[in-house]
Amino acid sequence: MHIPDGILPAGVIASGYGITAVATWYSLRRIQRQDDPTAEIPKASMFTAAFLVLSWVHVPVPPTSVHLILNGLMGVVLGWYAFPAILIGLFFQAVLFGHGGLTSLGVNAAMMGIPALLAYSIFRMRTLRCLPSRRRPLWTGVFGFLGGFIGLVAAAAILFVLLVTTVPATIDVATERAAISALVLAHVPLGVIEGAATALVVLFLLRVRPGLLGGDPAPRPARRRS
Amino acid sequence: MVRMKYGIDRYAELDSPVHRWDPRLKLVGLGALAFACAFVTDLRPVPAMLAISAGLAVLSRLPLGFVIGRLRYPGVLILLLAVILPFFSGETVLARLGPLSLRHEGILDFLLIAGRFVAIVTIGLVAFATAPMLTTITALRALRLPGVLADMMLFSYRYLYELGDDLNRMRTAARLRGFQPRRPDPHSLATLGALTGSLLVRGHDQSTRIHQAMTLRGYGAAKRNYYHFHAGPRDIVALGATMLLAAGLVLLEVL
Repeated sequence: MHIPDGILPAGVIASGYGITAVATWYSLRRIQRQDDPTAEIPKASMFTAAFLVLSWVHVPVPPTSVHLILNGLMGVVLGWYAFPAILIGLFFQAVLFGHGGLTSLGVNAAMMGIPALLAYSIFRMRTLRCLPSRRRPLWTGVFGFLGGFIGLVAAAAILFVLLVTTVPATIDVATERAAISALVLAHVPLGVIEGAATALVVLFLLRVRPGLLGGDPAPRPARRRS
Repeated sequence: MVRMKYGIDRYAELDSPVHRWDPRLKLVGLGALAFACAFVTDLRPVPAMLAISAGLAVLSRLPLGFVIGRLRYPGVLILLLAVILPFFSGETVLARLGPLSLRHEGILDFLLIAGRFVAIVTIGLVAFATAPMLTTITALRALRLPGVLADMMLFSYRYLYELGDDLNRMRTAARLRGFQPRRPDPHSLATLGALTGSLLVRGHDQSTRIHQAMTLRGYGAAKRNYYHFHAGPRDIVALGATMLLAAGLVLLEVL
């Protein structure tokens, strides 16, 4: 799911870096607003490394196997740290392992990172007040699934729109549209697997270390009638 | 088995003009060059581009096998394009192979993409393989990379090795208990989910302890510069030369 060097035209590379710069700047601003911005850095970097390492775990999907992208999970667990974490993770993937590329780093980070932030905002809905809090595991699972699913499908959609519209410069529009929809539809089952994996990890964390998921609202103060 | 192809900086201790170049200026210069290559849309500058990157690789004294090995993996996707582009892109038909026709524009598109790819990956390799990764990250910090990003880079690079080992151990343990996933069924997904979750929990516990130890030693209290880079006249001349080459590529493109 990473675009290598040399494929994309200059405009896309420049806009990729532009979007990534803005998203990183905004994420860092949100991080700086916290009481102790350095407190979460070790956790976020540990997770960055963990996600890099986990992309080596393959899930068998006959006749082949896929590796999880986990950008949705990254958004769900890391919140505002997700974008910088994805940027750094992709940088190391390009430099250490040759997946992706340096000039395409901006595009790749935007492609993975913005769906991750989307997944984060979806996952935060699990603490909505209209959802009964005693069913917390159910809602955590449901929104974890949605976060993982949408994280992957949105990333796949961005990837294919970019590849199909920019790479072969001379293919007609109808073919392009058909190709994009076919490729994105083909990724829906993978999105389901990704969503299921995200939900399972989130439920595991809820059981074992709920503090890691964060975002649990403080108990509501009793409303006084006036 | 998890592939552990570490060691981009395996040859960081060699001695060459590129190794001796001030890491800050090296990153700026080679970065500019890589982007100049990415911005090429015409076939004419491609030979020059390939010559520059080959020259850099020779100058850096990195072993040839190492450079080729780094080009091989991402090259698979490029080969895929070699199959697709010449047959589907363009209008001028050069030759027909049964139902397929080989098209002129497609071949040119492919040559351009392959040329850019080889040049950029080689330049990137020379930039990051000629200094230890920690020096590179320090140089990025000296180039005003935000502190949060630089810290996260240092930590995640450090943790990569450890977590890779952890993951290998846990997978071995799962295999020894007979875990051999064949389909994405609920059972194997649940096991993989627990494996992922355990890795995250372990990682988090460890990072919390490390953070506490670092706070005790004054982390986060004061901003200090830890780097001692020095750019002499030679470093600046090298930067100037690289910038000229990058500008030349852009000029060839514009003219």
